[in-house]
Amino acid sequence: MVSRIQSTIRSRLPTGRANWELLVLFITLAPVFIFFFVIWVIPITYAIALSLFQSPVQDPELVLFGNYIELLTEDAFQQFFLNSAFYALSTTLLSLILGLGLALAINKKLRGGFALRTMMIFPYLIPTIVVVFMWKFMLDQNVGIVNQALLDLELIEGPIAFFATRRWAMSSVIVTSVWKYFAFAFFILLGRLQTIDPHLYERARTEGATTWQAFRDITIPHLRDTILIIVLVRGIWMFNKFDIIWLSTKGGPLNATTTFPIRVYELAFFEIEFGSATALATIMFIILSTGAVVYFRYFNPEQEVTA
Amino acid sequence: MTIDRLSHSKIQRGVGRMLLYVFALVSTLFIMLPIYIMIILAIQPSSVVFAGGRVNILISDLTLGNFIELIETTDTVQYFLNSLIVAGSSTVLSTAIAVTAGYGLTRFQFRGKSYFARGILFTYMFSPIVLAIPLYIIFFSLGLLNSYFGLVLGLTAISTPFAVWLMWQYFQSIPISLEESAWTRGASQLRALWDIVLPVARPGYISAAIFSFAVSWNDFTMVRVVIDDANKYTITVGASLFLGRTEIGWGETMAVAVLMCLPPFLIVLFLQNYLLQGFDIGGLE
Repeated sequence: MVSRIQSTIRSRLPTGRANWELLVLFITLAPVFIFFFVIWVIPITYAIALSLFQSPVQDPELVLFGNYIELLTEDAFQQFFLNSAFYALSTTLLSLILGLGLALAINKKLRGGFALRTMMIFPYLIPTIVVVFMWKFMLDQNVGIVNQALLDLELIEGPIAFFATRRWAMSSVIVTSVWKYFAFAFFILLGRLQTIDPHLYERARTEGATTWQAFRDITIPHLRDTILIIVLVRGIWMFNKFDIIWLSTKGGPLNATTTFPIRVYELAFFEIEFGSATALATIMFIILSTGAVVYFRYFNPEQEVTA
Repeated sequence: MTIDRLSHSKIQRGVGRMLLYVFALVSTLFIMLPIYIMIILAIQPSSVVFAGGRVNILISDLTLGNFIELIETTDTVQYFLNSLIVAGSSTVLSTAIAVTAGYGLTRFQFRGKSYFARGILFTYMFSPIVLAIPLYIIFFSLGLLNSYFGLVLGLTAISTPFAVWLMWQYFQSIPISLEESAWTRGASQLRALWDIVLPVARPGYISAAIFSFAVSWNDFTMVRVVIDDANKYTITVGASLFLGRTEIGWGETMAVAVLMCLPPFLIVLFLQNYLLQGFDIGGLE
């Protein structure tokens, strides 16, 4: 590979310059290749290897797919999977709805739109732990203002411990997560909306189209690919989310909010089963890769930089 | 087209606009209310906020008491400094890798470049917890657990993929002719890179740095896994332990929350002119 580069450079430039080019090539690209190899390729390969052993750190014993079989046949596995899927899907869809509605509103040049657009960056800038503090307070059983409002409106008879009851824990984590992460959908959709030619709407209007018809026939087709990308990428991220769930509920009560990432953490640091932990991490890796392959196949995102 | 139909569609548009207004209003309330509540809890005495057994939404008494109490009874200052050290180091490392890589990847052609691009995007979608488990074991055997060196490597692993991506895109917007004219005037390539390309690329690397800082400042997972020594906790992990402590009330909890918000907000406030559109779009994970 290097000789190929060298020869293409040589053909373009005088010899003294070519040596410089080669030096610059190494100086600029060596760090990123070494870094990615050391901090990504090695650990992931190592994790996959560890998943084939029982207690790989303390007393390794090769069990091949034993850890996987044990995980997949565990009673709660199905629940962990459903929790992960439900959490990823609902946070993604709700973020999409909130982001799309706000992007449409701001794109209509509502008064105060600029201030609104600036505010939407706030949840992104606020650290996850702070978001959890806020919602722990908002939804608190004793002092939370959500309970206070619901009681005032007589919608409930007694205060609800939102994060601590099986019925409400998942919904509470979802609300917290949507608050933190909807901005991604919002900013991408707003960016895309602003590229739609306004003449299209003018023409539709002069031809007597209703707002709904214009939305259906102009806006939605223009946003379709963007929406698919958001669902896929945001969905993958939410499927992988650890911190916001752990900080809110630690997976409880009674596994009600235990997703795969939470389970990986429990397996590794509470049950000290690094074999099972890395096996579950590998299963997540496979699910993630499937999503990534779909993303690369249909959207060719790397063309953005290599074209 | 009849007059009737025209006015009919006008009414419909009016209704649509109204619905959007209402939606925007409700959503804004949903976004802003928790922030407002955090602030009023932090800057008022708890006795005032909770007077009468319920939360009073209006501000009636200002105090720094919660902040003073927080600083006197907890290690917040230590955690905060730790966070600054760790996030700062990771930002420098990540930005340096991103700038060099972005330049090299733009200026040189080699086989497998598109696979490398995919690899970068793939790692950007990766779960930090899945990376953290093998890193924990590797750091354990290398004696890097509980060290800032290991932690900074781990945090940089999380922020570098997007930072590289950002710089890669940014350098493509800088025409090579800028450098070529410097070369013909006798400047070496490194000289041209330093004197001509880097100043032009400033908005790019400032955005990459802001992104990297936000990622490391916000991180909980990597710190929790790599650091075990309470003296080395960052503010996110340190503050997460406050929730369970009975002597720390909501006032102090929200005071530390406000403190944690300050660095990212100040940075964006002062550097917003450099922020790229691309930061809005891709950097929100």
